[in-house]
Amino acid sequence: MIRGLAFAGATLAFAAAVAFAQGEDKKDRWWDPGEGRVFPASLDYRNANGTLRLLLDNGPMDTKGHPFFTAIGPNGRACVTCHQPADAMSLSAESAQRQWTRRGAQDPLFAASDGSNCPSLPQGERASHSLLLDHGLIRIARPWPPRDVKPDFTIEVVRDPSTCNLDAKHGIAGAGMVSVFRRPRPVANFKYIEAMGFAYDPKSGMPLPVDPATGKPVSGNLMADGRVLSLEAQMRDAASAHLGFLKNLDKRDIERIIDFERRIYAAQQVDAKGGALDADGSMGGTKTLQVSAAGRLGSDGGIPVWSEFEAWEKTPVAAKAKLSPEVRAFRDSVARGARVFRDKTFLITDSAGINSPIGFGNPVRNSCVFCHNMSFMGMDVAPGQVDLGTTNQPFADPAPHLPLFRITCTGKPHPHYGRTILTSDPGYALTTGKCADVGRITLQSLRGMSARAPYFSNGSAKDLRGVIDYYERRYNIGYTEQEKQDLVNLMRAL
Amino acid sequence: MKGALLLGVALFTGAQDTQQAVRFIACPVYRDTDNGRKSGCWLASDPATGIRYDVTAAPTKPDWNHAVLIEGMVAKDGGDPCGGTVIEPARVSVLEAPCTRHLIKDEGYKGRKFALPARNVRPLYDVRKLPEKPFAEGRFTIPFGYRSSFITYQIADYYLDATINYALDVQPARIEIAGVAQTVPERVSGQEIVEDAALARTRADVVRRALIIRGIAPERVRIVETLPGPFVAGAFDGLRWPAARRVDVRILPDAGGR
Repeated sequence: MIRGLAFAGATLAFAAAVAFAQGEDKKDRWWDPGEGRVFPASLDYRNANGTLRLLLDNGPMDTKGHPFFTAIGPNGRACVTCHQPADAMSLSAESAQRQWTRRGAQDPLFAASDGSNCPSLPQGERASHSLLLDHGLIRIARPWPPRDVKPDFTIEVVRDPSTCNLDAKHGIAGAGMVSVFRRPRPVANFKYIEAMGFAYDPKSGMPLPVDPATGKPVSGNLMADGRVLSLEAQMRDAASAHLGFLKNLDKRDIERIIDFERRIYAAQQVDAKGGALDADGSMGGTKTLQVSAAGRLGSDGGIPVWSEFEAWEKTPVAAKAKLSPEVRAFRDSVARGARVFRDKTFLITDSAGINSPIGFGNPVRNSCVFCHNMSFMGMDVAPGQVDLGTTNQPFADPAPHLPLFRITCTGKPHPHYGRTILTSDPGYALTTGKCADVGRITLQSLRGMSARAPYFSNGSAKDLRGVIDYYERRYNIGYTEQEKQDLVNLMRAL
Repeated sequence: MKGALLLGVALFTGAQDTQQAVRFIACPVYRDTDNGRKSGCWLASDPATGIRYDVTAAPTKPDWNHAVLIEGMVAKDGGDPCGGTVIEPARVSVLEAPCTRHLIKDEGYKGRKFALPARNVRPLYDVRKLPEKPFAEGRFTIPFGYRSSFITYQIADYYLDATINYALDVQPARIEIAGVAQTVPERVSGQEIVEDAALARTRADVVRRALIIRGIAPERVRIVETLPGPFVAGAFDGLRWPAARRVDVRILPDAGGR
């Protein structure tokens, strides 16, 4: 009887959740620098799959004059320009396109330094910003060779439609910089991203890296190529590279930005088909992230990854019958997707950071959760960088819009590719200078995905199905159509 | 803790002499027994005898693109889960020599369901039992693969972690590190097996660096040529050959801690 009442209330809860979502921030979903809005304790934004919720510890917070929300450099950008709340604190290609339609090249998002394919191109033309507009990619210029490192490979440009690597002023020969193009990573849920589950990084065979500024170990899960180790260093890097801010941020600014970044959580809260993601015993949604312990291994000390949705497997038949067919089907699918994510094993082959040099073997049979193993977050507790092949041939999807580099290993050949590698982004190797690290990219957060397409570091998957299709092709997994759809539904619910 | 340390530091008893020892170089074959995660079988045939061995029990697994050096003992009651004579304990070193990759089907073999090995580094959120005073001299040994100075997962890292934890727990202490390399040439499967003498130092440097990264003061850590007395044989499960590739560590708590 009580159960019946409880689940009769489920429909009401769904309606309430949708109603709440409809009460989202009425202001423009795009945050311009210096607007001075108040960031509320809870902030919802709709997206194609439902509603994203951001929670701010100890919110609300006045953003007037706050350095995360204020243009502190000459190009008019603030941190928030590329880390938009409505996009789960990342930046979707859709948002970039909207801003172009509104303001064209006048919007600071399209700053010549990195919001265009190359600063030398005519900045008023859409084509000069095609990588940002069509793929959500920001130009990242890395010094070559890396500072204080003698690389064991050479790098040549095979082709470069962005023009920047061959540019006389900004290219490899002219400026000693390699331009790669990457998605902005979400600035949220840092409790998890910074968490250290183990004292060692098995991918390097050494203890966790130490932040040179503090002498303390850090998680190693920041930045696609691990080029800096702490939020403070990331901030300094971003301030000079992306904000055009030439002076160092002052201590107070840094403290305020870090304080905000460590208080903000983002996750999908309501699904357009399935309703509230924390309904009827499920622990989906943002609140669970905000209150749970971080850095726990799903198989050892934490809860199994994505078992937040396990309650939906146990919904009594009578209660299920009270849900609409669409809600029922979605919940079942998400719960199945979580199982597939954890339990469907496949052969992982020739992936540096997994199959070498740790000792797991090549191949090794495991599931998605082998790497995406952190409870509530799906990051790698271990931590570190892995080569999924998203940027390296022969595995990468065709990317005629991206630069293509030829890497030649001058010392030992790469353990899986041999002496020569064709890549659109050497990734971690641009930091370490090691051929064995070509294409290795730091694992990503899996939260708030519905708000921030496209996916993978180079935006090669235009939607969530594209992510699954890539894995299917790369590892010949043999997902059924149902399993693919279940995984897509799981990801849209995160 | 003192008792545990003393148990760990046993004279090498040569268990390898009481079971049939096996050592050869071959290209590995992966048998895709799908019995859950990490359930695949690794097989390798001794080119001298043609006997196919199951080397899956090795903590470090082969790479199907490279030859492997197999060292181990034929298990007394190993069964036949993979279609090969079981070697256990076993050690696998991945060599640079290329191999043509081979994957074969399960052919009815079940493989082994994965179980977390006893030698696994515990997460930082686990509560660790600290040693009791008076602190004893600590002796530790970290094993390495052939021609490798890499700290491998669920074997070398386990012993490294034990070393570092003890070093941290009994500070202030002096720490002496001695690297060992297999510098005496031996022939295995028609190939000469020998390590560069400099690898001993490289291995010792890796361990020293790891200790310092975890917070041991550099001036407290000294690399020495050799350490007196026995090494920790448990790191090799009684195998003699891999014991020639290791780092020994002696941790000497200052008098105040004893």
